[in-house]
Amino acid sequence: MAIIEQPRTDVALPAGAGAPAYVTPKQAAGMFARPVAPKGWRDWVFTVDHKKIGIMYGVVAFVFFLIGGIEAGLIRLQLAAPNGKVLSADQYNQMFTMHATTMVFLFVMPMAAAFANYFVPLQIGARDVAFPRMNAFSLWTFVAGAIFVNLSWFLGGGADGGWFMYAPNSTKMFSPGHGVDFWAFGLQITGIASLVGAINLIVTCINMRAPGMSLFKMPIFTWMVMVVQFLLVFAMPVITVALFLLSFSRGFGGAFFDVKQGADPLLWQHLFWIFGHPEVYILVLPSFGIVSEVLPVFSRKPLFGYKFVAISGAAIGFVGWGVWAHHMFASGLGPISVLVFSMATMMIAVPTGVKIINWTLTMWGGKLKFTTAMLFAIGLIIEFTIGGLSGVTHAVAPSDTQQTDTYYIVAHFHYVLFGGAIFGLFSGFYYWWPKVFGRLLNEAWGKANFWLMVIGMNLTFGPMHIIGLQGQPRRMYQYDESNVHTRFWNAISTIGVFFLTIGILCFIVNVVITHRSKNPKVKAPLDPWDARSLEWMTSSPPAAHNFDAIPTVHELDEFFHRKYAVDHDTDEIKQIATAEDIMAEQMAHAEKDIHLPSPSYWPLVVSIALPIIGFGVIYSHIFIAVGAAVAIMGIFGWSMEPSVAPKDDFEPPAPTDGNIKELTA
Amino acid sequence: MTVHGDSRASAFRRTWRKVAASTAVLGTGLFLASCAKDSPQDTWKPKGDAARKIDNLQRPVFLVAGIVGVLVCIAVAYAIARFRDKGQPIPKQSHGKPALEIVLTIIPFIILATIGAFTARTIVQLADTKGCEMTVNVTGQQWWWEYDYPVTEGNQKYGITKPIVTSGELVIPAGTCVLLRETSRDVIHSYWIPALNGKKDAVPGRVHENKLEADKPGYFAGQCTEFCGLSHANMRQWAIALSEADFAKWVENQQKTATVYAETDESPEAVGYRAFRQNCSRCHQVNGMQNADGTPTIAAPENNIVAGSAPNLTHLMTRSRFAGETFPLLNEECTDRLTKAASDQLGAVYLEGVTSSCLNRAQLEAWLRNAPGEKPMYVKPDAKGLLRGMPNLGLSEAQIDSIVTYLQTLK
Repeated sequence: MAIIEQPRTDVALPAGAGAPAYVTPKQAAGMFARPVAPKGWRDWVFTVDHKKIGIMYGVVAFVFFLIGGIEAGLIRLQLAAPNGKVLSADQYNQMFTMHATTMVFLFVMPMAAAFANYFVPLQIGARDVAFPRMNAFSLWTFVAGAIFVNLSWFLGGGADGGWFMYAPNSTKMFSPGHGVDFWAFGLQITGIASLVGAINLIVTCINMRAPGMSLFKMPIFTWMVMVVQFLLVFAMPVITVALFLLSFSRGFGGAFFDVKQGADPLLWQHLFWIFGHPEVYILVLPSFGIVSEVLPVFSRKPLFGYKFVAISGAAIGFVGWGVWAHHMFASGLGPISVLVFSMATMMIAVPTGVKIINWTLTMWGGKLKFTTAMLFAIGLIIEFTIGGLSGVTHAVAPSDTQQTDTYYIVAHFHYVLFGGAIFGLFSGFYYWWPKVFGRLLNEAWGKANFWLMVIGMNLTFGPMHIIGLQGQPRRMYQYDESNVHTRFWNAISTIGVFFLTIGILCFIVNVVITHRSKNPKVKAPLDPWDARSLEWMTSSPPAAHNFDAIPTVHELDEFFHRKYAVDHDTDEIKQIATAEDIMAEQMAHAEKDIHLPSPSYWPLVVSIALPIIGFGVIYSHIFIAVGAAVAIMGIFGWSMEPSVAPKDDFEPPAPTDGNIKELTA
Repeated sequence: MTVHGDSRASAFRRTWRKVAASTAVLGTGLFLASCAKDSPQDTWKPKGDAARKIDNLQRPVFLVAGIVGVLVCIAVAYAIARFRDKGQPIPKQSHGKPALEIVLTIIPFIILATIGAFTARTIVQLADTKGCEMTVNVTGQQWWWEYDYPVTEGNQKYGITKPIVTSGELVIPAGTCVLLRETSRDVIHSYWIPALNGKKDAVPGRVHENKLEADKPGYFAGQCTEFCGLSHANMRQWAIALSEADFAKWVENQQKTATVYAETDESPEAVGYRAFRQNCSRCHQVNGMQNADGTPTIAAPENNIVAGSAPNLTHLMTRSRFAGETFPLLNEECTDRLTKAASDQLGAVYLEGVTSSCLNRAQLEAWLRNAPGEKPMYVKPDAKGLLRGMPNLGLSEAQIDSIVTYLQTLK
């Protein structure tokens, strides 16, 4: 672990005393002396604290959610009526490409990373992730890649080949602008972020669980995150290869997709979807994890068939590798391949169905509380079921040849990704907001947020089933009514976007009023939901070191079992301790000499090098050398920076009162 | 706790409404989709053998999916109503019942395996092209389809003794299985006539087979469905199925070459002929056209266009649409007459072609005046000087007028 020793900041310190400021680090063999306890914005930019990194992941991802939403709004405005004139054909093609790219790579993936970063260490009772500096590197590399992709808007236009970027339409001859170059290199950079983050979280899940937490006592959210990280480790290299082939074809005359030189353009499709299908599970499994936490808490029952849910998540992860060609049923694979992939796709519906059944049975016999978090979780069950069932209709390959590339598919994956992934993320926002910020989001605004989003998403994406089955293809900047008489449903779909917009604005308003409110009621109690897992066994927000004493785990839902026990006389469940009692006990047994990682400049330096290399590939090769030099400098500095900083980086604190003197003695 | 203090009854009512709304949207959606009128690309109205096989398979699948969806919604709604917090004691902390789990895993497995068996059968049936006598080569390029009817043993039975090259509208005999051999000259396109069969991608460097068969004479809409660049939305196609007798007439006419006008002829048609030869024949082939010295005029689109091809216009006025089927060549009244013709009348109407009273002259002139203004195309030459689509040729009004006059002779 890249952790340095630092005298601990004690929870018993009088309010306002804060961490002792004793920071005059020596210059190491690298170029800069490491920051030790920076203040203000520096505290955030150079931090390696998984919680701060998680929050920053979330903020950046949410900004891209809004950008992607604006892109979606423009698309629906264009299609509100036949022969729309809001966007030109070229602008429309850029818009739908960037909408999908933004939502998939720059919102859902990093938002899931935000939750994973923040909560995995807390849920497994760890003080941080396994490699804190690599974690910071993941964040800044993602930010660099995300900005890089979007810079194309200001440098000649966005990518225009669709997020699937099929060759040869994506090659220089058919997309001569720089949009696709920015797209390919930008995603390459965010891919590095995902890969590094995945390795980090896998090691964290496997090596850093609290004593007693066996894999089958690990909270289900952490389980799903771990499955996703394995998917990332195997999926990202595939898209990396594909993107390199594309970049080399465009920038250096590579002929990987040039039919005249003997290439087969289906190569791209196979590579893209071998990545692209596991990607779907990468997007949706973290949300499955979130609702699998939320439903038991608000049903006051353990997750029904916890082991089945965990195993079915892993099964989805495995079978997910064998179904990629169901995106290619019309691409001319031949009947044997189509048959095999059609069958495999139907079989993956089984473990997915298991999850739906288990969530429903978790509620069954429970004691349900309909908080906003719970409503979003229930919403996910219903909307995802609809998306899953329309998925079964196009697992039937012959049927899919009628449906693919129509709005029916657009309806399907928005039910899966909006009704599934995004509803799960919103459920997580409401559930964990008090943990992260110590404040409760307003439930009235939350309910408005939920209902407007439910109405909005069904109005927006529901009619697309009809539009698609009536034969309106996707990716068309205009439709005319001689081919599809769908004016009414297209208009309804656009109206739905207004509901969605207002729903999401409710969320933003909710956040603003919650954080501006002086009302003491917004302050979250220690355990606002009567929760079940370890992350609630500490203060909100948690101190930098997470837990005063690392808990020893005896049960799945450890926190619940510390609060409640079965009364042997009446066979009823009785409360035996409050969250406050448990917290007090922890503080009483607080560990001395807690090890915490120290901030570093180097992750940021290496991250900044990557887009410079990207500019070099696109504009002038000299920048490749400049970027490489910065990267090498960064890696050198990083490797020279000791993982355990020398003791004399910390001056002994000037004792201001007896309390601190005692602590540092 | 205050955060839970919301009215439970109203929460339940609203949740129930949501469940009801979601099922209603899916249910009505599927219902309306199955009985929508006037959607020529409706995927639920098969007019041929392959599409019917797909339809027969997908209807029960949609039904099963709908039933499962409703069951899940009912179960969730029941749980919401029955188990909401009414102050009951904390439930038993049961981690599930493995026997129930296994049963609930096996049930979806059985349903899916049954669907899978029927799916497998249909996949095999659709891949079988043995009975297809006729062959048409279908080639996609940005943003139109070319059809070429080769002289094969099967095609000769239908009177095809010289290759026919046409575009936009696929003309086939009704009641016959026609094998499409699809490919592309640039990017990937996808051929789709929903009433007759599902999609099949046209991929450069590969030939993919797809069969079409129409039960009766008819006029069937379709669109390119693989995103193929700027004007993907404007890449259309129609399939026109004619009775065998009508198809024979069509074949006979398509094999004729165009009239040759003498260089000294000053009739409006002859002036237009020369204007066409000067301005259009670099890309567009008209079979039979001759240069001033009497040699055949051969179009060389490969020197001008990325895909290396442009529509053959020898029989332009036998088609009902032009420019990748984007624009009607017939005026509104005559378009209506064609698209609404009864099956047994269709052949007669279609074979009339574009008469001078039916011509949508304004649209054709607008196209000649400034094609990229009518349909988005990449008309800035690339590094090799090649275009994607028809550029603005800077024709004078007089030239446009006489070219239109000439085009009307191409029947």
